[in-house]
Amino acid sequence: MNQPVASKFLRREFPAALLDELKAILGAERVSVAHAVREHHGKDESSFPYALPDAVVFPESTEEVSKVVKACAAHKFPVIPYGTGTSLEGHILAIHGGVSVDVSRMNNVLAVHAEDLDAVVQAGVTRKALNSHIKDTGLFFPVDPGADASIGGMSATRASGTAAVRYGTMKENVMALTVVMADGRIVKTGRRTKKSSAGYDLTRLFVGSEGTLGIITEVTVKLYPQPEALSAAVCCFPTMVAAADTVIQAIQLGVPVARCDFVDPLCVRAINQFSKLSLKEVPTVFFEFHGSESGVKEQAELVQQLATENGAENFEWATKPEDRTRLWQARHDAYFACLQLQPGSRIVSTDVCVPISRLAECLAETEKDIAASGRLVPVLGHIGDGNFHLCIIVNPDDPADIHAGEEMNHRLVQRAIAMEGTCTGEHGIGMGKMEFLREEHGDSVDVMRMVKQALDPDNIMNPGKIIAL
Amino acid sequence: MNAPSDKPIIDLARQQAVVARLRAFMPAAQVLFAAEDTLPYECDGLSAYRQVPMVVALPNTEEQVSRILSICYEMQVPVVPRGAGTGLSGGALPMGDGVLLSLAKFNQIVAIDHAARTARVQPGVRNLAISEAVAHLGLYYAPDPSSQIACSIGGNVAENSGGVHCLKYGLTVHNVLKVKGYTITGEAVEFGSAALDSPGYDLLALIIGSEGMLAVTTEVTVKLVPKPERQQVILASFDNVEKAGNAVAAVIAAGIIPAGLEMMDKPATAAVEEYVHAGYDLDAEAILLCESDGTPEEVAEEIARMEAVLSKSGATRFSVSASEPERLKAWSGRKAAFPAVGRISPDYYCMDGTIPRKSLGEILLFIAAMEKKYGLRCPNVFHAGDGNLHPLILFNANDPDELHRTEQFAGEVLEKCVALGGTITGEHGVGIEKINQMCIQFSAGELAAFRAVKIAFDERGLLNPGKNIPSLHRCAEFGGMHVHDGQLPHPELPRF
Repeated sequence: MNQPVASKFLRREFPAALLDELKAILGAERVSVAHAVREHHGKDESSFPYALPDAVVFPESTEEVSKVVKACAAHKFPVIPYGTGTSLEGHILAIHGGVSVDVSRMNNVLAVHAEDLDAVVQAGVTRKALNSHIKDTGLFFPVDPGADASIGGMSATRASGTAAVRYGTMKENVMALTVVMADGRIVKTGRRTKKSSAGYDLTRLFVGSEGTLGIITEVTVKLYPQPEALSAAVCCFPTMVAAADTVIQAIQLGVPVARCDFVDPLCVRAINQFSKLSLKEVPTVFFEFHGSESGVKEQAELVQQLATENGAENFEWATKPEDRTRLWQARHDAYFACLQLQPGSRIVSTDVCVPISRLAECLAETEKDIAASGRLVPVLGHIGDGNFHLCIIVNPDDPADIHAGEEMNHRLVQRAIAMEGTCTGEHGIGMGKMEFLREEHGDSVDVMRMVKQALDPDNIMNPGKIIAL
Repeated sequence: MNAPSDKPIIDLARQQAVVARLRAFMPAAQVLFAAEDTLPYECDGLSAYRQVPMVVALPNTEEQVSRILSICYEMQVPVVPRGAGTGLSGGALPMGDGVLLSLAKFNQIVAIDHAARTARVQPGVRNLAISEAVAHLGLYYAPDPSSQIACSIGGNVAENSGGVHCLKYGLTVHNVLKVKGYTITGEAVEFGSAALDSPGYDLLALIIGSEGMLAVTTEVTVKLVPKPERQQVILASFDNVEKAGNAVAAVIAAGIIPAGLEMMDKPATAAVEEYVHAGYDLDAEAILLCESDGTPEEVAEEIARMEAVLSKSGATRFSVSASEPERLKAWSGRKAAFPAVGRISPDYYCMDGTIPRKSLGEILLFIAAMEKKYGLRCPNVFHAGDGNLHPLILFNANDPDELHRTEQFAGEVLEKCVALGGTITGEHGVGIEKINQMCIQFSAGELAAFRAVKIAFDERGLLNPGKNIPSLHRCAEFGGMHVHDGQLPHPELPRF
């Protein structure tokens, strides 16, 4: 991760006329230039420094977003969509200046089609809000990146999370989008049908485009029937590799594990301290199984057997919903827990993902690298997907320390790419991984650039992210 | 249907020039131009449209593909890629002034990774051949278009093919991890990754279903899934098609995702029974095939739940397959539905409209009304669980009025699909066949976005031109066509 220095980016000058135009579109109360508001929109959960937008607007409809973009396009001034600001790679930073389009007021669930297993939501609806809205239908939306992110932001960053091993990432779960393009045109991609082979798949092009091709204003997502039965287990392993092997074997056998997340002993210590738990400080996997009563039992028994064969010491069940929630909450808080291991620190977080057949090998080599560095590096991950994260703890005031952390990430990325993996399984490119994109994709980056230029010729949509023009 | 009104005559001098350039690095047997050699390539599975290509190229290495493309780019010759030629929308219809690029010689399975459950294959490998090659590992490739014994994986990528099991296992786009290929300039590109996700724009999804208009595929990495321990299918009879349609929605709404959920109406089962004797209930107005797969316990449980929902929805009769041969027999009828219908009518026209599932009952009544309106029979066979219809309009192509009525019938059904929030094509692709209906489904802004993508990949418009994405001119023309109630204005204009 290259720490951006303010001077590295040329900020485009905020045209005075644009502010008046925005106020004319939305009314003065929904356009803010207050420093506090701009500061709130100039920082995400990454370790990048603040980069404030020049103004923040709060549209309430697709039409208003379209008008805002048209006004900005006329001045060729950058537009940066903002959901909940929980991204991890500097996606929302206004490094070239610009208008931050905060969609949090677009928070209506527009339709729930229970028979068709889908829902249409405005971009600002958060995943938890959607799930509580549809609670009575017996359905749920499974993509769970931890943070209570907006569905629009999750689509833009192609988020995944703990349940991706069973239900897929946003790539699999977005059926259609309404998007405001760089010239303000409103485009609907995809239909509410289960499949379509008409035209190019623009839906998936916009999913993961990180606001660089257009602003997502409405999303049609897939819903799933709530499983009849759920069970969760915590399983302790002698080594990281034994844990990975168990998961690989379970997946090879076709066990439809709903979630399976790994944490290393250091991470367990952090979680114990932060969430007041008393888990054993050894390599640990959290499992969750969804299905019918007998299906869940069968899946769990099979995994338990595999775990035992791989030397697991104990397999603790959590069938009560409150126990399960507590466990997964603890897992989701792991990032913050790790930050507390060294007060005042920041985290260089990594996001590699490898084919599951190479996971054990990749983890073993990474473990050696960590041991050799002598650094404090908790490891955790959605190992069912081959995706894991290092929380490389660094001292934000020591450039050499930050650099060393980034070097470790770079070595990990090269290791993953050599194993046919990727530098990012779920966090996206943002500004953090732009250099890795070329290492991984080579000439395909040129094709991406052509697509970007085709859809945003003036480079006003979230400039400086994914691809530098 | 948009049959070409006239066919370009092949320019012999240009033909020789292109052949000379290609034969400079490929043996003569891989560069065909004589009429008797190129004739077999004149159409794909949509045989109403035919055009002999100027030149057929049959490369067998990636380097040859790259060189063919860069030469065609330099000489400004259009290129139409072709897999097995089983496409149903004319996506591989050749051009009289173009090169047909057949990937038939790319027929090797390159690598199988058992632990990661993936296979790397060349595009000419047949869909079913992948499953056969990994059967000993207890794995298979899930998407199973009915043409799977013949169709190639490269073609599946181009069309984003589905099949009877895609309700549970997804379409091609959900089962492909990575595609390697070449752009029209001959530049190598790689989309996707062997890992779960790939950073940057999801160009893989853009390539899948792009009907050969963005790049030529030379290698595909597919996901494999474990073969379920057990599969069982329910055959359920209904005394009314609308009830059967509603039963489909009820099964899904009950939280069951069957491995397959197919529907056939009475005229379709009658045609099939005569042909393959699958043991269907001939008194039923409609039958459903509901498949469950998984461990024996899961299957038993799911079958019981499905039976409960089906009987509540008014099923008049059930049978559950007791053995694997019985199950395959039940499916044999569904998979042979098209050829069976081919036996009872000189021609049939297969549609591919797809609607949100809950409107199934409504669209079936609409199709029945259209049968009366146009005086044509239309058996229905479809992937009910996906809401993907395949109505088969029976007609005689030698009777111009029947052909005309068929086109009108099909047009009305597709427009109804769009009006119900659906799409004109669920899995067969747009090709040349449904290009006019694209103007109904998409707005000018949406079509402009498609065109911008096309131009980003292929500025000169040389890769499979005239397919999939209509020009604004074409839409204007089609709009005019509607006003005049089907009378084609300016019949002398070349249509593509």
